[in-house]
Amino acid sequence: MPPKKKAEIDFSKGFAELEQIAAWFEQGEPDLEQGLKKFERASELSHALRLRLEEAENKMKEIKDRS
Amino acid sequence: MHILSVSQYVAYLNDTFKAIWDTNEAAIEGEVSEFRISQGQWVNFNLKDQEAVVSCFAVLNKLRVPIEDGMRVRVSGSPRVYPKWGKLSFNVERVELVGEGALRKALAALRAKLEAEGLFDASRKRELPRFPSRIALVASRESAAFGDFIRVVNERWRGVEIDLYHAVVQGDKAPDSVMAGLASAQKHGPYDAIVITRGGGSFEELMAFNDERLVRAIYASKIPTMVAIGHERDVTLAEEVADVRGSTPTDCARRLVPDRKDVLYELAHLEQGIAASVENLIEGHKETLTRFESAADRWLEMFRLRLDGLHRLIASFSPEAVLKRGFAILTDKAGDVVASIKDAKPGMPIAIRLRDGSVDGRIEGSQGTLI
Repeated sequence: MPPKKKAEIDFSKGFAELEQIAAWFEQGEPDLEQGLKKFERASELSHALRLRLEEAENKMKEIKDRS
Repeated sequence: MHILSVSQYVAYLNDTFKAIWDTNEAAIEGEVSEFRISQGQWVNFNLKDQEAVVSCFAVLNKLRVPIEDGMRVRVSGSPRVYPKWGKLSFNVERVELVGEGALRKALAALRAKLEAEGLFDASRKRELPRFPSRIALVASRESAAFGDFIRVVNERWRGVEIDLYHAVVQGDKAPDSVMAGLASAQKHGPYDAIVITRGGGSFEELMAFNDERLVRAIYASKIPTMVAIGHERDVTLAEEVADVRGSTPTDCARRLVPDRKDVLYELAHLEQGIAASVENLIEGHKETLTRFESAADRWLEMFRLRLDGLHRLIASFSPEAVLKRGFAILTDKAGDVVASIKDAKPGMPIAIRLRDGSVDGRIEGSQGTLI
């Protein structure tokens, strides 16, 4: 199986994680090293979320199997 | 002349009725009166018009619509004389409500009943996720409602999977068809939500969405439901029982998925907030560093001053400082210091080191005292 593309991120979970990171920073956590790690993660997340909003398509299919 | 027993006579009448009355071809329409249910399963009522009355009998679970006195109904079934009572009664197989008035009355009765059971309680309404990723859509693939719903979802959001469960949404077959779609979606899940939608229609056309069995099926759904039936005034029971109600198929799409423009804006806002926080954090650490550096500088300066003091103290003990004060240092030929009279032999050449240079000399003699 090829590795999942970043565009296939679970939007809901990704967005929630980003909000958590923002909240963490708002609490004024003083740890620089942790802060930089979180910043890196936040950049990754927002990039993937944007990519999903820009590149993903809605998929429509009809389910006929009624068994 | 034929002489019949009573039983034979009743049987003869019933056979005759059977022969002349086709249940599928004829029905009786009239107004209900004296409606009553006995032992929780037998239903008796009269059907009347201005001139005549006929008594009717039915089994309760065959009645799919709530009936009460004054309603106008159309009953299908067959006439029968009950041997035990000798009374002619119409054995009802099916009841249909006639006219909007009767439908509305029945609907009001059903609404009251389901409300009393708590089917519409706000406390049991579930919230739909903000960013759904998989949706089941129960709608007619030919309907404008379906097209409108998909169009608005596509305009607003990306990356959502929509599975269509095609259903007939009007007429007698609609309740069963929608229920089949609903049941199938429960099996094919998990979904973030099940959406049931159709466009507007007349009160009668929308009656399928007031079907008690469908309403109960929506109530029992394990997956959160959203129902949107486009119409002007009447809210169907299916919408009332749903977790979320949309007023039209497009409204339903709007409630289901956010607008990506808004979310992109929110994303940018979050990003900026985080970036600013990181900058502040770095700035804070820089300040701490600067404070530490200046503290170190001050400490070094103090140390340097102490060192200078020590240096001066040590310097005061140096031979040069002693010579400057007027003392002299004697050394022999080899350059060794002559510090005692024991080392000073008469006639010995010496060098005398003074403040600004040295002079040569010779030991003349020595005394054991300093002065």
